[in-house]
Amino acid sequence: MRFLLINHIQNARQSLKANHLRSVLTMLGVTIGVASVTAILALSSGASKVVSDQVDQLGGNIAVIRPGAATTDPLGNLIGQDTTAHDYSASTITEDDLSLVTAISNIQTIAPLMILSGPVKADSSAPTGTPIVATTPALASIAQLPIDKGQFLDPAVNQNTAVIGVQLSIDIYGTEDSVGRKIDIRGTSFTIIGVLKRLNNPINYNNVDFDKAVIINFDSGKLLNQSIAQIQQIDMRATSVANLDQVIIDTNKTLLLSHGGQTDFSVLSGTQISQPTSQLFYAIAGVTAVVAGISLLVGGIGIMNIMLVSVAERTREIGIRKALGATNSDITWQFLIESLAISIGGGISGYLIGYGAAFAISTFLTFNPVLNWQIAAVALGISLIMGTIFGLYPAFKASRKDPIDSLREYS
Amino acid sequence: MTKAPPVIELHDLKKRFGVGDAEHLALNGMELVIEKGEFITIMGPSGCGKTTLLNILGLLDQSTDGQYKLDGIEVSSFGSRRKAHIRSQQIGFVFQSFNLIARLSVIDNVALPLTYKGLTKTKRLKMASDMLTNFHLEEREYYMPYQLSGGQTQRVAIARALVNSPSIILADEPTGNLDSHSSHIIMEELSDLHKRGNTIIMVTHNPRLTSYASRVITMLDGKIDTDTLMPLIEPPAVTPKRPLGAKTRKKKTTTKKKPAAKKATPRKKKA
Repeated sequence: MRFLLINHIQNARQSLKANHLRSVLTMLGVTIGVASVTAILALSSGASKVVSDQVDQLGGNIAVIRPGAATTDPLGNLIGQDTTAHDYSASTITEDDLSLVTAISNIQTIAPLMILSGPVKADSSAPTGTPIVATTPALASIAQLPIDKGQFLDPAVNQNTAVIGVQLSIDIYGTEDSVGRKIDIRGTSFTIIGVLKRLNNPINYNNVDFDKAVIINFDSGKLLNQSIAQIQQIDMRATSVANLDQVIIDTNKTLLLSHGGQTDFSVLSGTQISQPTSQLFYAIAGVTAVVAGISLLVGGIGIMNIMLVSVAERTREIGIRKALGATNSDITWQFLIESLAISIGGGISGYLIGYGAAFAISTFLTFNPVLNWQIAAVALGISLIMGTIFGLYPAFKASRKDPIDSLREYS
Repeated sequence: MTKAPPVIELHDLKKRFGVGDAEHLALNGMELVIEKGEFITIMGPSGCGKTTLLNILGLLDQSTDGQYKLDGIEVSSFGSRRKAHIRSQQIGFVFQSFNLIARLSVIDNVALPLTYKGLTKTKRLKMASDMLTNFHLEEREYYMPYQLSGGQTQRVAIARALVNSPSIILADEPTGNLDSHSSHIIMEELSDLHKRGNTIIMVTHNPRLTSYASRVITMLDGKIDTDTLMPLIEPPAVTPKRPLGAKTRKKKTTTKKKPAAKKATPRKKKA
């Protein structure tokens, strides 16, 4: 059997070479499917790696509280049940929760994030969708927001002060230095006291692109929102990594009590934070995954089609081989290995092309695709499964052929 | 020889093609005992069931009725794997129409039966090369089948049948396409194998070749017509049904009908 395996592989190579164009075209179907799967996986794991890297950088003692129960269902994220959909839903986290959580021991700093939207104006109107983040000064240390010009929020200074992202500053004023200028947020005038350094990471666990955001005091934010605090997220930093677990447990207990036993919030830490990052990104990834699935199916049908043709063409050969002592399983393996050769060949080129595409796309994005063995294993696994599923029927069909009938056939 | 069971023993063997009106018995009650080491030529008009008989003997086809014992064991009890194993170990086929695999080189074609015996590649190629040398084809090893002349092709086909040194060789007109010189080489090779104790069953239309045989069987309408257990001394062209003029004519009419009937039936079977 061992010798035969080598023989089957040689055989497959020979027969694929003999029909060069046909084999290449069939492989192309698999290649496209595997390439899109690889690109999606590489990019999406690249995106989540960005966030988890940030969390690691921050020392691994960060936890966040988000409204809504945690969903582990990726489809749920796609449809929009995501806990971070901050634009429309009323948050279940209240100001009371904030003060309760603040009282928990072993928390070093804590900062609420209240994300509002609305017109931001100055000399020229800012791009729509500019996030207005109302928070406390502690955010600067938790999220490590570096200040380029001026200063960050400070309880000592006037309430109506704002810190803006560098890109927003350029968009509105045409300069990076806009400290001291007035900005109009939802009809209220704020003085800019600081400009952030360019962070260049739109994907982060706060779900805010700080380069384009305007940050105001929590109390001012409340005033803009009819004096109601609508907290989308609370960032917490434990005193040490070892204490983080205890902080999370305590937070869960406290909030559960105050919410009357309802788990309409979730406390996340570490890699959990990085899961649902960008709605849009996951929606695109989902659509592409469907396309990839369809092209894999089409590629598989292509394999089956070509294998059936190949079996029909080589009926006489099957008869000869059987007459010379090939068993049914020898014939099955011969054709199965041929279809596997097509699908694996397609899989490998798809893997390479997929990475090429991923790197090409990543030049337009702020993160790089991830190279790891899991993606290679998935690509190889997909092609193996395809070759088997779509190669089995033709192979069985070949092995069931009657030797006499096959020999009588002229080819 | 008396102790060992005969290599091949057929009893009331029947093979039916088609159904209903198209029914046709290619073999109609064959009785045949072949001992080890015999060299048998089977002659007879086309359509009398010679090829069908060879196919059944070679375990490629199954009889509809009757018994076929190979080495004393009834073959109808064998599974397809066992049959394939016997074909691989014991039986060598030489086909009427060469049946080389067109996309394999000459040496790969010859080495093919050894593949299914499970030999390593080097061993296979060595044995195939030796066999080709026997047939004076050593310079054609890496030719493709379409680059060979008819005679060379048939010699390759025979080399392939002999490469796994089978104990039974089934040859369907092995010299049908060869000039007398090539035929001579092949018949010498076959009779050499015969001398080494192999059993050879050869179908032929050429009465001259029966001189190599130890036993000549003529078939007619799926049955044995004549059978000489003695080796022939005289040139054989005399023996078959020549003198009976009236009878021959009658036969001729039947045989003329036969091919048409036979052609029609397989088509039915396929549909």
